[in-house]
Amino acid sequence: MAVETMTIEIVEAAVATAAGFKAIGAGLAVGLTGMGTGLAQFGIGSAAVGATAENKEMFGLALLFTVIPETIVIFGLVVALLLLF
Amino acid sequence: MSSVSITGPAPYIYSSTRMRVRKAKLIGHDEYMRMLNMSLPEITRSIEEKEYKAEIDELASSFSGLDLVEVALSWNLAKEFQNVLGIMPGLIKKFTASYLQHWDIYNVLTILRGKTQGVSAGKIKEVLIPAGSLDRVALDRLLAEDSPERIVEALSSWSLYPVLEREFPAAMEKGTFGDLENELFKAFYRYILKQTASGVKGGKPFRDYLKLEIDLLNIKTVVRLYKGGVREDVRMLMVEGGSFSVDELIRLASSESMEEILEGIRKRYPEGPIGELMDSADKSMPLHEMENALTRVMLDQMDRISKRYAFSICPTLVYLMRKRYEVANLRAIARGKESGLPGEKIAEFLVV
Repeated sequence: MAVETMTIEIVEAAVATAAGFKAIGAGLAVGLTGMGTGLAQFGIGSAAVGATAENKEMFGLALLFTVIPETIVIFGLVVALLLLF
Repeated sequence: MSSVSITGPAPYIYSSTRMRVRKAKLIGHDEYMRMLNMSLPEITRSIEEKEYKAEIDELASSFSGLDLVEVALSWNLAKEFQNVLGIMPGLIKKFTASYLQHWDIYNVLTILRGKTQGVSAGKIKEVLIPAGSLDRVALDRLLAEDSPERIVEALSSWSLYPVLEREFPAAMEKGTFGDLENELFKAFYRYILKQTASGVKGGKPFRDYLKLEIDLLNIKTVVRLYKGGVREDVRMLMVEGGSFSVDELIRLASSESMEEILEGIRKRYPEGPIGELMDSADKSMPLHEMENALTRVMLDQMDRISKRYAFSICPTLVYLMRKRYEVANLRAIARGKESGLPGEKIAEFLVV
């Protein structure tokens, strides 16, 4: 009886640990890709603001270039969602 | 007052992009060639369609012909450089302002020369180009002073004031500002070389470029002196800081023949564009042709480093240089046309 109770506790603890690691993994996936996106966007953003300040017609194209690195964080989000659900 | 962060690479990316867009709008080779076949009114109309519209429109009621083009070009250059200074963030602004100080030297000397010769303030103002740290208001204040001594006193907060103060009495005694001008430019180069170590990004490649610029400036002086038949002590005329020492330059200037001078330069620059230019040059090469070729070498080198160090101070400086030569080219075309020179002759004086 005591052995059965111990086994159930070990399994429950293992399940809880796995869920915890998944949550950490999901957090890292979104957090690190978010930082990657930020790093990529600061350069493109600076150039985009500069180009738009000189030529207003550049706004649409500049905005498009600026949001391209968003794909990185979207991949991170997808991985996080796959991990969690 | 709160301000945005001006550290890190973002300000360089921002400023370099803006300057690149502006550089792309400068007049190109084909446009100059078309202008060579135009009359002066057509050239005026052509530049009015470019970046000079505001100035041409504003000045059209006060000036006409060559004067209109000349004043509009000066106004545009000053406005553009002041605008560049205004949009540059932090350290880039400080460095750009230091680089634009050569316009301050030009303006201060023009005012001093004008005042000593009794030229009216209005006439002096027409030829000033307030593109440096001394803006229109500061120059107006100098013009309002009634004597050269008072002008010098009014410049006490200027970074080149110690040199001005030291050399001014001798210049007034001699009645010529040539030596003062030389000393101010030498101090300018010393100051800007020092500034390249101030932590600005691209400072080191720009320092290397400055050394080349000083060399080319000295080479131009040596060739001018030789062609002008001057064989006196030329130590005062040479700028320190380049790869040639002053003694080497004096030896070059005292050469017996043009071939000797070219050989001396070739020894220092055996390869690259200067070496090639020295190979193709001979004593029959006209002075202006050689000077233009050396200026082109200078601009090409600056272009190269601005591409290699894309997000640094270099793209800003290359734009300022290109703009300066665009104005010089347009002025040469306008003056040439006014004097009735053929297009091919004017083309020789363009730096394209």
